Amino acid sequence: MNNLIVEATKYTPEIFFDCENHILEIKGKSYPENTSVFYSPVFEWLEEYLGKAEKEKITVNMELVYFNSSSSKILMDFCDVLDAAASEGKDISVNWVYEEDDEDALEFGEEFQEDLESVTFNLVQKSVD
Amino acid sequence: MLKDLYEFKKDLGNRGIFFCLSGPISQNLVAEIGSTLEQKMSLEETSKSTVLRVFSTVVENAQNIMRYSDEKEEKLSLGIIAVGYEGSHYFVLCGNMVENDKIEGLRKKLTKLQTMNKNELKEYYRKQRREGPPKESRGAGLGFIDMAKKASKPIEFDFKKIDEEVSFFSMRTVI
Repeated sequence: MNNLIVEATKYTPEIFFDCENHILEIKGKSYPENTSVFYSPVFEWLEEYLGKAEKEKITVNMELVYFNSSSSKILMDFCDVLDAAASEGKDISVNWVYEEDDEDALEFGEEFQEDLESVTFNLVQKSVD
Repeated sequence: MLKDLYEFKKDLGNRGIFFCLSGPISQNLVAEIGSTLEQKMSLEETSKSTVLRVFSTVVENAQNIMRYSDEKEEKLSLGIIAVGYEGSHYFVLCGNMVENDKIEGLRKKLTKLQTMNKNELKEYYRKQRREGPPKESRGAGLGFIDMAKKASKPIEFDFKKIDEEVSFFSMRTVI
């Protein structure tokens, strides 16, 4: 299968899903007009990838500066898919990257952390200068 | 009209409003407004969290207008958005036409949010996100809860009846 690479726009994040090195990255802002249209290729790719993945260590980096309320729902669905795969034995860690003075992003990360049972979910603070 | 324009600008200024847009709202416009406001607030040394909350409130409001305004020209939705600063808080005003038969539903939803405290809003948001959107929603059904969560006091709202068909819905969110 191919890597999934989507360039960032003003209101959609950069997607860099690397199926050879097993690193999945979502980075930037997410507030498209129609969230499901933007994210459906992401979910299709993820499903195929997880179907083929075996014992390798998978790292997911989520670094979202801002996301609207409908993206928040989609991101939770995304994490749920990862969590389900982890509960079936896949080795998945998610890094939730937030800027040090962004309380809301930290709060979202903490909520995801509480809700997910099987993935290793890390809150990673990024310092801004 | 030409002479009134300055008076109009001054009137906005007197109300603390430093940004105002009335007309068709599009996704591209939302992105541009967002980044311009971010720049402006950063100059004023506003904290990162506050900048993001104002940005977020503008986006949620604008996307509500895009999805639900009952005043439309072809595919464009019309409404009004204003951002201001008063008593050391930013505020966002948003208004659009709604059909009269949608008023009760909106009123119920917003009144419920007004009575909730921070923790209740947080739990309600998580619960709704888990359950998925109500059938009349065109997003995740989380926009108002998200705004209420990020606001420093309860969202204020009003309906002004225009005719037998529509009313003007307006709301004010203080960050």
